[in-house]
Amino acid sequence: MKLELKGIYKSFGEKQVLKGISFSAESGKAFGLLGRNGAGKTTTIRILMDVFPADGGEVLIDGSPVDHTRTSIGYLPEERGLYPKKKIIDQLIYFAQLKGMKTSDAVAAIDRWLERLGMMAYRNKRLDTLSKGNQQKIQLITALAHDPDIVILDEPFSGLDPVNAMTLKEVVKETIARGKIVLFSSHQMSYIEEFCDSIAILGGGKILLQGDLHHIKRNYKRDKLLVRSQQAAKILADPAFCQAGKALDEDGLLLRLSSPEKKQEMMKALAGKYDIDEIKVFEPSLNDIFVEYTGEQA
Amino acid sequence: MKQFATILRFEVKGYFKNKIFVGITLFLMGLIALVMFFPRFSSFFEGMKNKGGASPTTNEETGEDTRPVMLIALEDALAAEDILAAFSQTFGSYDVRMAGADAGEIKKQISSGQAECAFVLHSPTAYTYYVGNLSMTDRNPAAADETLLNIYRINNMVQEGLSSSQAEQILSASISHETENLGKDQIQNFFYTYIMIFALYMVIILYGQMVATNVATEKSSRAMELLITSAKPASMMFGKVIASCLAGFLQLLCVFGSAFLFFNLNKSQWGNNQVITSLFDMPLGLLLYMLLFFVLGFFMYAFLFGAVGSTASKVEDINTSVMPITLVFIAAFLVVMMSMSSGEVDSPLMVICSYLPFTSPMAMFTRIAMSTVPVYEVVVSVAILVVSVAAVGILSAKIYRVGVLLYGTTPKIGTVLKSVWKA
Repeated sequence: MKLELKGIYKSFGEKQVLKGISFSAESGKAFGLLGRNGAGKTTTIRILMDVFPADGGEVLIDGSPVDHTRTSIGYLPEERGLYPKKKIIDQLIYFAQLKGMKTSDAVAAIDRWLERLGMMAYRNKRLDTLSKGNQQKIQLITALAHDPDIVILDEPFSGLDPVNAMTLKEVVKETIARGKIVLFSSHQMSYIEEFCDSIAILGGGKILLQGDLHHIKRNYKRDKLLVRSQQAAKILADPAFCQAGKALDEDGLLLRLSSPEKKQEMMKALAGKYDIDEIKVFEPSLNDIFVEYTGEQA
Repeated sequence: MKQFATILRFEVKGYFKNKIFVGITLFLMGLIALVMFFPRFSSFFEGMKNKGGASPTTNEETGEDTRPVMLIALEDALAAEDILAAFSQTFGSYDVRMAGADAGEIKKQISSGQAECAFVLHSPTAYTYYVGNLSMTDRNPAAADETLLNIYRINNMVQEGLSSSQAEQILSASISHETENLGKDQIQNFFYTYIMIFALYMVIILYGQMVATNVATEKSSRAMELLITSAKPASMMFGKVIASCLAGFLQLLCVFGSAFLFFNLNKSQWGNNQVITSLFDMPLGLLLYMLLFFVLGFFMYAFLFGAVGSTASKVEDINTSVMPITLVFIAAFLVVMMSMSSGEVDSPLMVICSYLPFTSPMAMFTRIAMSTVPVYEVVVSVAILVVSVAAVGILSAKIYRVGVLLYGTTPKIGTVLKSVWKA
């Protein structure tokens, strides 16, 4: 199964929120949807879930317009919340029924998930008696119980303790392995790097960068050198290097090359003049890429 | 449709599981049972108290008169015996005694508690009434007025040459009359119309608020984030409103049903109480009208309450947001109540109100119950109401759709309508 968004436009009043968003995600893979606050991630997700229609563009499943009666979507919203005063099992059944499940199927699936997440003891408790992390696990069940084709997880790890985060990681990996499309939205780049095969970075209503994560990293401009030296301060003060240099820590430096071809030349010059412990081409993390692409979009 | 059924079931179940809802219903039923069984209790207690027959006017041991003392003092040369006899007859519950015309002495006796009240007659047609504590329902002066006027008239007639029995006959003549009512009896209809209007008012305002609060709670608890992606806003809105209508109707049914049941169990006890018996003497046709106007009026307001609830981000904002709707509704209630108690249910204001969709459920119902309304007027009023309910329903669903996704400060009506228009 392949999910495609093509040229999605959306405005609220005068404000244009999405200006032609296009990306695609495939089943059995996780897709990371990144962007700063207010970049349009939630609006994109809501259009995908048919909360409101797009002004232009289309959402396609395997090449044809999405039919929401046939393609089911599970959603873990960033703003968590269920009915605080109602029994957990009652509201889980309610949400599963809204997704079209029969009551008996819903109960079976929910019990399976409660068991899986170690929440069976809370089955008949009121939601507001649970801790925040446990409430989040309950909310996760609303996203997964009806065995959806597409799972959208918005900041799934926020508020979870390391053990629960581990459980969730396993669940996410299982879901991906079972051939579902998993759409991930998070500001915790380490999780995106861990799960997502491809990403799209949203900014100002447009896609700033998208594609295979490894590919993106490999093709990232190799124009920075990471230098470790006891003489870091001296290097920085040297007029030959200081204009392009930036101190990272006590003995670390990041030197920007005027072009990637200058790499060898710069390395030789450095090694000839100073006592260098380590020198290598700087490999950016997703975090660095994200900051670089979205940083100007204040 | 399936989603709507799921939502409806969930919401109705929510009411039944709500302890306050169940508690209030049971409390009201208990209260009604208490009222309906009251004559049994009270006759039981009175039976205990009155075992010795009527309350005695004399102390059995000392033979003293135990009735409160009323003093009569004459400043003028009046026929003291006639007056004493007449007052004793009029004020049977008092021990009426003559006293000297010394105002100071009389006041002293009253303040010391020896006497309860006193009449000091200055002339055949003028007196001062002294009383320890003037109660709100003190009818002594009125009775004294009548007694003195009678004595004065008889005396004058006798002076003019009539015999005293002739004079009494003239004065005691009375006119007999019969009323044949061809329309509705407002006296009989007043009480049940009053109760029904009041029930309509309470249920609409209570459940309307509940709809608004429910929507706002879903928003503030962020359950809406998930709901909005799971169900269509129109299904959510209609599911909620219809569920609260069912709950409200069921509550009314329980309350009125238990009233009817308990009344019939105690019918013999209430036999001569006109107010109560008239309540249960309601024509079936009127009950059906009540049902019609209840449902339409309920939807009219509940849709609006739901729409307003969807624009609030916090439950605390609800009270101020629903104020305009509540005010319109209270105004409608007051107009209807005032014209009911003045008896002018067909006044121009009421006629206008019985066509306006916000007031017609109460106004038209009152007119139907308490006066005779041409069929075409009822049809027109109901038709306007039905169309308005549909229009308000559609508009509210649209506001709801926009409102549930708005967070932050409660938006102005204009802003909401503008975005509804564009959506």
